[in-house]
Amino acid sequence: MTITLSRLLVLVLTMLAGLSTAAHAQRLAAALSSITVSVDSSFAGETLTFFGNIEPEIGSGVPVEGNDYNIVILVQGPAINRVVRRKTGDLGLWLNTEQRVYEGFPSYFWLLTSSPLGDIADNSLFDAEGLLPSSQPLLVPSTGNGDLSSLSQELVRLMEESDLYGVHDHGVIFRSRTLYSASLSLPANVPNGNFTAKTFLFRAGALVAQNTQSFSVRKTGFERLVGSSAKSMPIVYGFICVLLAVFTGWLGGVIFKR
Amino acid sequence: MQIYLPIAELSVNLFFLVGVGGAVGFLSGLFGIGGGFLLTPLLIFTGIPAPVAVASVTGQVVAASTSGALSYWRRDGIDFHLAIYLVIAGIFGAFGGVSAFSWLRQLGQLDLVISISYVVFLGSVGGLMFFEAARSLLRRRAGVVVRDKLPGQHNWIHGLPLRIRFKRSKLYVSVLPVLLIGASIGFLGSLLGIGGGFILVPALIYLLRVPGNVVIGTSLIQVLAIMAASTVLHAYSSQSVDILLAFCLMVGSVIGAQFGASAGQYLRGDQLRALLAIIVLAVAIRFAVTLLFAPSDPFSMATLAAGVGL
Repeated sequence: MTITLSRLLVLVLTMLAGLSTAAHAQRLAAALSSITVSVDSSFAGETLTFFGNIEPEIGSGVPVEGNDYNIVILVQGPAINRVVRRKTGDLGLWLNTEQRVYEGFPSYFWLLTSSPLGDIADNSLFDAEGLLPSSQPLLVPSTGNGDLSSLSQELVRLMEESDLYGVHDHGVIFRSRTLYSASLSLPANVPNGNFTAKTFLFRAGALVAQNTQSFSVRKTGFERLVGSSAKSMPIVYGFICVLLAVFTGWLGGVIFKR
Repeated sequence: MQIYLPIAELSVNLFFLVGVGGAVGFLSGLFGIGGGFLLTPLLIFTGIPAPVAVASVTGQVVAASTSGALSYWRRDGIDFHLAIYLVIAGIFGAFGGVSAFSWLRQLGQLDLVISISYVVFLGSVGGLMFFEAARSLLRRRAGVVVRDKLPGQHNWIHGLPLRIRFKRSKLYVSVLPVLLIGASIGFLGSLLGIGGGFILVPALIYLLRVPGNVVIGTSLIQVLAIMAASTVLHAYSSQSVDILLAFCLMVGSVIGAQFGASAGQYLRGDQLRALLAIIVLAVAIRFAVTLLFAPSDPFSMATLAAGVGL
């Protein structure tokens, strides 16, 4: 009996959710400047441009009204395992005594917004959607010892200092009532892998529509060859490193022979 | 000019890398040390992840020692007979060091052991060398004639059994201390990620009484062999050897080492030892400071390779 009731409830809620989406009757048409960021020997970061348009839902026939829309773009990098450690000076020596490993932690997390987050919607909504840098450590499993909440805060701070986490208020600019664009500078230490860019459309404090795109950051040419051979044939790679070192040392000796 | 390092996955100034390599290479040619104990902390300070810095420096040390060893070989400054005994024992020691490395990592105390070892070994070796060299310099200044080979210098080590004649070193000494020294350096080198020249050179001088004209060349052979083995081990176990980073450092250090080796000929042995002692002591003090004083940021983060637990 209870099972049937809860199922009914779910059904009703789903229908309500569907209705509310339909009521908004807007969708996002979004794109980004490149789907592959190539990393070569002179790579020193790259700027990506996101752009899009707020459009009426297909078939709804209701034109986009008002100019109180807000866009939030979340760019997230591949998941990695991060460890954060804390030094304490208990025994007269400063040692790492606390450490936590965050498994599946986003290696890159940047928010671009058209207004300060507080003006767009309630903070609890962003938090629930995992849309804040500070909510990331709470969303991934962690193992280890030490105070979880303080280590999590420090991890976010360290990521922000490395330019890998952050929020850019007014990073999204409306070119017209419905057309927006945003640019994001990927730093030179950007992790390699697959990224997702989620675009969220907010109106009057509510999430109206969203759209997901992806792009990848990958090495090309010589850098790609080095990266893949170091992983696929490590022993050969190691011997090549030694041979290169011996050759370089020998060549130096020959050139500078006195 | 920025250059992107494919394994470290960040970009660094090319001239900085070659310059740092050159400076450390000069010292390595001058003193017959690999320079790893200087270069690794410098790279980590630049922002290169610690595993990549440690692993890539081993590659650089191979190049620097090859270049230095060649230069001593031309001057007949290597005792190959002695070197073979050291290298064979050293490779056995390196296997022990690698096992200790993974055991300590399981216990979560690797950082601690490395820091304390740096302070203890660099501090004691540097301190001993400094006092010995200072005393020798003062006596020379006071007009006392100091000969390179002192009479009655034989110590208890020379009374051990299984003696072997090392012609080039003019030594007739037991093989046991030779093997023990070689194995210890191999163990420490692979555990601490250093060539160990700064420990090996004083050990050969003070324990075995290897003459000054072959001690550096012979130690370079040992460092070369141990670091070549470590490079392959690092490439296999952690895949963190950045060949481009290592190459930039190599080019700088090979050039620097040539100047260092020739500059070394204009300095007397005790002067060289005093200078090396000061550098070794400075690094030991630097590590002691990080252990004893509150860091500006007690928190640090690192990336763990997939599948590596605590």
